[in-house]
Amino acid sequence: MSLAAGPGRGRVAGGQTPADLRLVIDKHVAYVQKLDTRRDELEYHLTEHLRVSGVYWGLVALHLMKHHDALPSQGVLDFALSCLRDNGGFGAAPGHDAHMLYTISAVQILAMTDNFAELEKRVPDGKKKIAGFIAGLQQPNGTFAGDEWGETDTRFLYGAFNSLSLLGYMPHQRPSETPMIDLPAAIAHIRACQNFDGGFGTSPGAESHSGQVFVCTAALTIAGEIDTFLGEDGKDRLGAWLSERQQASGGLNGRPEKLVDVCYSWWVMSSMAMIDRLHWIDSAKLTKFILECQDPDEGGISDRPGDMVDVFHLCFGIAGLSLLGHPDLIEVDPAYCMPRHITSKLVGR
Amino acid sequence: MASHGVPRVSSAAVDKSEAAKDKERKRIEQYRSLEKEVGEKIRVGDFANTTFQQISSLLQQNPEYYTIWNYRRILLLDVFHKELKSGNNAVSESQPEGADGQQATMTLAQQEIAMLVKEDLQFLIPLIKQFPKCYWIWNHRSWLLATATQHLPTKTALQLWQGELALDSKMLALDSRNFHAWDYRRKIVRELERLGGKSMVEAEFEYTTKMIQSNLSNFSAWHNRSQLIPRLLEERDSDAEARKKLFDGEFELITTALYTDPYDQSLWSYHQYLMSTLDRSSPLNSANYARSTAVLSPITNADRLGYLEQEIESIKDMLEGAEDCKYIYQALLEYSRLYLDIEAGNKMVTTKELAGWLAELRKLDPLREGRWRDMEMRMKL
Repeated sequence: MSLAAGPGRGRVAGGQTPADLRLVIDKHVAYVQKLDTRRDELEYHLTEHLRVSGVYWGLVALHLMKHHDALPSQGVLDFALSCLRDNGGFGAAPGHDAHMLYTISAVQILAMTDNFAELEKRVPDGKKKIAGFIAGLQQPNGTFAGDEWGETDTRFLYGAFNSLSLLGYMPHQRPSETPMIDLPAAIAHIRACQNFDGGFGTSPGAESHSGQVFVCTAALTIAGEIDTFLGEDGKDRLGAWLSERQQASGGLNGRPEKLVDVCYSWWVMSSMAMIDRLHWIDSAKLTKFILECQDPDEGGISDRPGDMVDVFHLCFGIAGLSLLGHPDLIEVDPAYCMPRHITSKLVGR
Repeated sequence: MASHGVPRVSSAAVDKSEAAKDKERKRIEQYRSLEKEVGEKIRVGDFANTTFQQISSLLQQNPEYYTIWNYRRILLLDVFHKELKSGNNAVSESQPEGADGQQATMTLAQQEIAMLVKEDLQFLIPLIKQFPKCYWIWNHRSWLLATATQHLPTKTALQLWQGELALDSKMLALDSRNFHAWDYRRKIVRELERLGGKSMVEAEFEYTTKMIQSNLSNFSAWHNRSQLIPRLLEERDSDAEARKKLFDGEFELITTALYTDPYDQSLWSYHQYLMSTLDRSSPLNSANYARSTAVLSPITNADRLGYLEQEIESIKDMLEGAEDCKYIYQALLEYSRLYLDIEAGNKMVTTKELAGWLAELRKLDPLREGRWRDMEMRMKL
């Protein structure tokens, strides 16, 4: 799976008017399928540190486009498991060190391909081992580190909740067992990261940023705390900040006075969906913006019209269109960025 | 999220002649074999200087390769531990003198560690300038400083952190919205305050003033200002009057800025921050909130209404010549709602006025029609 940008650019095809913009599913499927054949490009090799996340991004797009079997399932499983390290965490590729970011992606891949049973067969107590790696990264103040080197960020806290819940190891999923993590401390940390505008930052005192709003909102959603934490006033305040991210082009930016970007569109709109305020932006214009970021000939989606496409933006573009109710896609779960039918089965949402 | 900052050097747009392909193939082979060699050396514990140089070369080609940063730290730690274990506790005769002649006394082992840390910090400078949004580079700097602080005399550690503050200011001069640099700055200041035992809140407050003066539309600077104010007031031991004076000063500053450019969202965000300190339902004023956020203290409902009235009047004046500025209507509606939450009976704002502002807003900002519809229902307009 290549994470290299390109080969094409997101744009409106020649002779096509914005009015007949359509989602080119066949092209996107072929784009994902071809990614792993680009080994003659230097960038394929320079992006190996993202490989397992790349598989996750490609797989989400395929699932949502109802082509979940477009990648060889055995190959996907073997690759994901080849990234598992002795400490229970996953690296980005075989031989790469374990890190929270890639552990989340690998767990999500195992969940989407229905392979937890196979994991247990190949790695005795595999789920528990992975959960142990994640839980072991929680810090005394409730937040999580990315790995043993200690960088902390609300992204990692979200990653922990996401993976632990898919694995079935969140405290509320095992009420009779000693909890693996200190949930109240983690929630208190999220509170410490909240700002006057209702948004959240990377750490206490940090400026609100829509990526961080997504991770904190999704962590609260997964923990079942979103309603009590925010209340209607809090949802209005956060919803107002999020809705101001939509710009005249229809796309959304990540912070005030920044450029629009398809992936920021996803962090913003998924957060709005989790607080029931998605109707506070213009979904027709946003849909159009995302469709304009497609490469209509070779597939793939870019951050902005005219830029190089890549699988990362393809994933979040497709997920965004799903959230906006595009008729050709299945429903996405905004807290997980995975098909809803899969998260429903695993975490009962 | 992880892929931001990955350089978009697409091979697609450039020429794909046989010669170009051949060149690319060679570069791939070189990169791959270097990567393989480094990996093998780490596995067998070959932590020689050549390994370290190869790691540098890999990171210069690909600073996003997090595992290689881990290898770099493994090698550095190995040297540090060897130095500390070597019993090299002798104090060198020829201590390098600081500019002020106040250099801390270090053992030979500590001197070696200090030198290695400084060299590594230097190595990172061109990389961080080229890839200012690469999490791993910031993370490695942070690790170097934390590790140095553990092993070196406080005075030396302080000098290192002061150097970081200078570098961070340079990074913010290059991109005043880089959130990595702002986050890192707050961390540096925390460490400097801890090690030096002196508050830097006044100097940091000044810094935000300077940043805002050079570019009003810098919400990151306004944000940091909002973080500093409660502490500043506390440390100045401000009484009610001094607090009011500062608060009034902030309103004056932001109002002047808003008159200059009422279309700037960053400015309105700071105005909202000031107003949120009057709002009992603001998340910052919740009892669950860990940090002290008080600005006016004590504060009565009469104070709240006074400020709300003052600001609503002042913002109404802003409408003249800026009738197409949606932020003005939003502010009027939002602050009126706060006002009515406290004092519903007063006729300061009439329903007719509110409905008029909302109608204008809907015309100017159809993107958010759903929000205005909900607002209409909530405010019973």
